[in-house]
Amino acid sequence: MFFRRKITAPPALTLEGALGPNDRLDRAPAIAVPSPQAMCLADGALLVSSGQNVLRLTRWGDAPQVWHRFDTAVTALASHGDRVAVGLGTELAVLEAGDQVPWPAPQARSIADLLFLSGDELAVVDPGYGPDQPILSLAPWDDVARGQVLGIRAGGEARQIAQGLHCPMGMVAEGQSLLITELDRARIVDATGKVRLAGLPGYAGRLCRTARGYALACLSRRDPLIEFLKTEPAFVRLMKDSIAPQHWIAPRTSPGFAHDLPITLGATRLHGAIKPWAPSFSYGLVIELDATLMPTGSAHSRANGLRHAISDVCDWNGDLIALSRASGEILNLGAA
Amino acid sequence: MTTRTDFNSLPRQPVPRLVLSPRRILSDVLSRGGVESIIPFLALSATVIGIVIATDGYFAASNLRNLAQYSADGGLVILAMLIVVAVGGLDLSVGSSFAMSAFVALYGFHILGLPVPAVLALSMGSGLLVGMVNGVLAGFIGCGALLTTLGTMITVRGIFTLASQAQLVDIASSARMDDLWDWVGFERVLTLPIGFWVLAVVAVLVFVMFRQTRFGWHILAVGGNRKAARNGGIGVRRTIFAAYALAGLIVGIAGFLFAARQNSIAADTGIGMEFFVLTALVVGLGGFVPGRGAVVSVLLGFATIYILNNVMVNSGYRGDFVQLAMGSIILVILAIDVRFRKNRHRLLASSYLDPVALRVAPVQGMDGMMPDQIAPALAAATVLGAGRVDGPEDVLLDDAGNLYCGTRDGRILRLAAPDFIQVSELAKIGGRPLGLAFDAAGRIVACVAGMGLVRVTMAGEVALLTDQTSRSLFSVQDDTAIRMADDLEIAPDGVIYFTDASKRHDIENWGMDLLEARPNGRLISHDPRSGKTRTVCDNLIFPNGVCVTHDGKYLLVASTWACSILIFDLANLAAGPRVFLSGLPGYPDNINRASDGGYWVALAGMRNPVIDAAMTLPGVRRRMSKQVPPTNWLFGNLNIGGVLKLDAAGAIVQALWDAPDGPLYMITSMREHKGALYLGGVTNDKIGRLDLPGADAGWTGAGSYRAKG
Repeated sequence: MFFRRKITAPPALTLEGALGPNDRLDRAPAIAVPSPQAMCLADGALLVSSGQNVLRLTRWGDAPQVWHRFDTAVTALASHGDRVAVGLGTELAVLEAGDQVPWPAPQARSIADLLFLSGDELAVVDPGYGPDQPILSLAPWDDVARGQVLGIRAGGEARQIAQGLHCPMGMVAEGQSLLITELDRARIVDATGKVRLAGLPGYAGRLCRTARGYALACLSRRDPLIEFLKTEPAFVRLMKDSIAPQHWIAPRTSPGFAHDLPITLGATRLHGAIKPWAPSFSYGLVIELDATLMPTGSAHSRANGLRHAISDVCDWNGDLIALSRASGEILNLGAA
Repeated sequence: MTTRTDFNSLPRQPVPRLVLSPRRILSDVLSRGGVESIIPFLALSATVIGIVIATDGYFAASNLRNLAQYSADGGLVILAMLIVVAVGGLDLSVGSSFAMSAFVALYGFHILGLPVPAVLALSMGSGLLVGMVNGVLAGFIGCGALLTTLGTMITVRGIFTLASQAQLVDIASSARMDDLWDWVGFERVLTLPIGFWVLAVVAVLVFVMFRQTRFGWHILAVGGNRKAARNGGIGVRRTIFAAYALAGLIVGIAGFLFAARQNSIAADTGIGMEFFVLTALVVGLGGFVPGRGAVVSVLLGFATIYILNNVMVNSGYRGDFVQLAMGSIILVILAIDVRFRKNRHRLLASSYLDPVALRVAPVQGMDGMMPDQIAPALAAATVLGAGRVDGPEDVLLDDAGNLYCGTRDGRILRLAAPDFIQVSELAKIGGRPLGLAFDAAGRIVACVAGMGLVRVTMAGEVALLTDQTSRSLFSVQDDTAIRMADDLEIAPDGVIYFTDASKRHDIENWGMDLLEARPNGRLISHDPRSGKTRTVCDNLIFPNGVCVTHDGKYLLVASTWACSILIFDLANLAAGPRVFLSGLPGYPDNINRASDGGYWVALAGMRNPVIDAAMTLPGVRRRMSKQVPPTNWLFGNLNIGGVLKLDAAGAIVQALWDAPDGPLYMITSMREHKGALYLGGVTNDKIGRLDLPGADAGWTGAGSYRAKG
């Protein structure tokens, strides 16, 4: 009472300055794509996954055409020249001019992101969870860092590029090395495990290169309640023991209310309206970073918006394209 | 149509007689006003204990009498200083004025040979005169208090010195004796000297003045904020003048007592008194605080300084050492007191929330009726009064079909039948009107959070029925005031039963009550004929909606956080509640009769597995309330809910859910009226109307009470 306790630094960047709130995502022109998951550029066109399909878009504003159809849902896309790699849960398919190229299957629990290191080596992000597991629910309450990045050559050699990662979700090449995002740790590390940027305000998804640096897709905003509950072992134990994972308190992809999911005190509606600044477990956030990973700008869809859970971004013909899983759309944010 | 309720076969609901918790006792003590003087009290206790240990027989009766004898003049001057400081001033002239009054008393007694009462009047007049001069200069003319009283201190001291030198020999050589004079100076009543009794009486009068009288309140208002006091219509200058004058009068009495006891004066009489008095005042008040009339604290501070000083002088320490020691001790006391005062509200805030584990029964009786199993029926409701009613917690319909509701800004509105487009104000109450009901004479009785039970006639006249109930048997904090009157029902015999949802949290902090999950609420009855209010059942968990059963024999009470409905036997309320229904899927709010002999229950929000788990872990909730911003506190899902229909035996037969993005949400009340259900929501700005196919189109809620009553 008589001596002030030391105030600890906030655990995350606050949504201020370059990360200050706006409604860029909600205002952005959009093209509807049912259940999208990943994007990549191939041959100047944009490939977007839509459930089991991969759609192709040659120009913004055109209707997307079905480019290829698979038997299972597409989870990741990458391209090199006219080779396109497609992650299908645990499976991998590489196509060249419409024909399947034989490629060894990675020893991964699932494929969250893909990247061609060269024409015949593919990097695979393995988040450490199976394709049917609800990663967003599980990752906050999991202390085990079981994620990895594998390198798979067409000839069959496989190597482990990085290991001991906590739920990696995306990667991008940085010179000879890689930058890898960790979802729940809300940070960017390189292949040696060195932390390059920590304390992100959102749960990090995929990362892409832009003309001025990088753009980072965030699946949700970091929530003080979840961060607090992580420090409460009794609560975590009780929740894991007695509640099904889909009802755990966790970041979500959808902004809707459901009777069996919790909310926070500030999220209660007044006069039927959701306040844009209300705390919410789902959020839309794209962070623009410069070449040194310093945040320079951001695009938001706040609590009252619908374009939440941005899972991928890419720089297409100078425009920044983002993919919202909550609204099932690709969004054009303008000059990247 | 109605089945008989088998009360005695229902399980008993245990109700604690007493809620005991160290954290609650601490927070209750901290929120009492008297805790302000805890540090002066502890300082005095420490002083006394220290002296008892260190000395031999200091507190013997004879020495105590001695101390009491000499305490009177200092104590009185401190009370005078307190009045001046409370009004926002300062009086440095008390020492000079004290000496002058003593001189005037001796002059009047020995030289003029006046009778003792006249001497007293003269002495008080002298003090009053100095006080009035101070008052005119500081109050009316607006000279600063410091300058003014410094001036009068020097001037009066000069007059005193001149006059006393001229008369000293005559006074000393006077041989006049008087029984009354000696009685004042030396006599004892009940073993204590007269001077001490005078101090005691004046202290009580000043205490009562600050507590109870208009003048005392004006002094505190002016001292607290001069501008606000002026804007509030208080004559600021007049009040300041009167405070100085009153202080002068008390100093005059002190001078008279001194003269009667000592029968002599010296050139140094009253010198340094102002600083001794200010020191004691600062120790008592914990700083130089205007606007506080803390008589007890100040006297505690005085006693501390007085006894410390006395014991050290008696022990034979050198004067300069005594001063050094006194100064250090005072600094320590002040430092502790200032820190305590500064952090009291923090200590209170960090100890106020006192959660307890609450294990809510699992959801039962809802097979096939949960929101993910059936379509949301309330999505089809017609919206009434959109944007024109702010927070209709309860809705009520009269025979003509006019709709009444309370609003967040403290009004009761009428939406005229048949189309409910015309919205007019029936009455302006203030507070936060929640539950509504018609009495037998067709007047509305309303539960108003922050006020109590209020009756409104159809002409808009408002009368307060009750705002307090009997105090709980063991409670540190006075809990007689009804804090959150929530819902009411009028029994067939005319007695009004209503709930006070939380004794510990106001309506704007009602969310804290969920985090606490303690039985903080109570069921209260009010009999309008006798005007008597009494607590029927204390220590219920957020009692909310109230409904008399169709047969008029039982009372249903919703227990919101427990997700259950309790039942009381109106013929035997002392038997306590039994559980009518438990394991509701959400948080029940109001309960009302249905036309088919069943009941409607509003679910303000829904439970979910995570909040149910958190309710069993009080430590998690308490730490959350400290470490997480309030907007991010885990909470029951109030954005989705609905209405349940019960049959007469308490089985759930129908569920009407609102859509997750629908116009209606957080349903807090519903009334069936002529084949339709009217729905209110405490945070919504609209009322819903849902047609009930197959319901009795002639049935009205008000009519169902008249038929039985």
